[in-house]
Amino acid sequence: MTDNKMTTTDQATASNEMAQSAAANALRAQSLELTPAADIIETDDGATIYVDLPGVNHDTLDINVDHDVLSIKGGVNLHTPKDLNPTYMDVHAGSYNRQFTLSAELDSSKIDAKLKDGVLKLVIPRSEKHKPRKIEVKAA
Amino acid sequence: MISNMMRFGPSIPALFEGLDEVLSTDYPAFAPGAGRLRAYPQVNMGVTENSVEIYLFAPGMDPAELDVSLEKNLLSVTGERKLEAVDEQATVRRERFAGKFKRVITLPEDVDPGKTEAVYRDGVLHISVAKREETQPRKIQINA
Repeated sequence: MTDNKMTTTDQATASNEMAQSAAANALRAQSLELTPAADIIETDDGATIYVDLPGVNHDTLDINVDHDVLSIKGGVNLHTPKDLNPTYMDVHAGSYNRQFTLSAELDSSKIDAKLKDGVLKLVIPRSEKHKPRKIEVKAA
Repeated sequence: MISNMMRFGPSIPALFEGLDEVLSTDYPAFAPGAGRLRAYPQVNMGVTENSVEIYLFAPGMDPAELDVSLEKNLLSVTGERKLEAVDEQATVRRERFAGKFKRVITLPEDVDPGKTEAVYRDGVLHISVAKREETQPRKIQINA
């Protein structure tokens, strides 16, 4: 009896989870933007950000800085034949969107951006006054 | 007590690193940043009247390091993604996939493995496999 009860509860949980994941999938398909994976490296000279944007080229890439927010938007262009009938898709969305909040120490006016083979590399220098420096001690 | 904690202090980050490593190798689904990766590389596939088109999202690869093979209708793509060498100490965030990968894709049975083309463009590997001619739609001439 107890065992039966347990099973019923488990099934209820399972079906609940399935409903939730189906809802999550539907939601994911609806929101047509992907969050691309990124690596961030910080050194004394500044920050380097790598963003994976497969399928994006120079024409479909848009990088903006508004105050301290750096926005990256990229459209996926696979150059598919016109009569292509999709049979399987891991990637449902047609564009990437990601935002980074830049620290005030970084000089957002000097961002260097390079896109190669679907990887965006951003180099953001630290502003001069925020670079660590050595203070020389003068002999008295 | 406090001195004990101090003593064990430095080993704690190492413990987490070890955990990350175990998760990455043995339980990739739970690895840090795995939420948006699941399988690598991600694949989109479609068919046209006379071909099967496969798109693998594999950014930042050297095409020479990609190995594509087709046996009957089983397409396998293997490779290794090497990321730029960086100072691990300076890395604030690490989400991008690195390491070896293999993806096997079952294609429709009417493909012709002899007619395969692969192009790497903007970080996407596009493989086009022709369908066998006898299975392609054709117009039948009616003789009077």
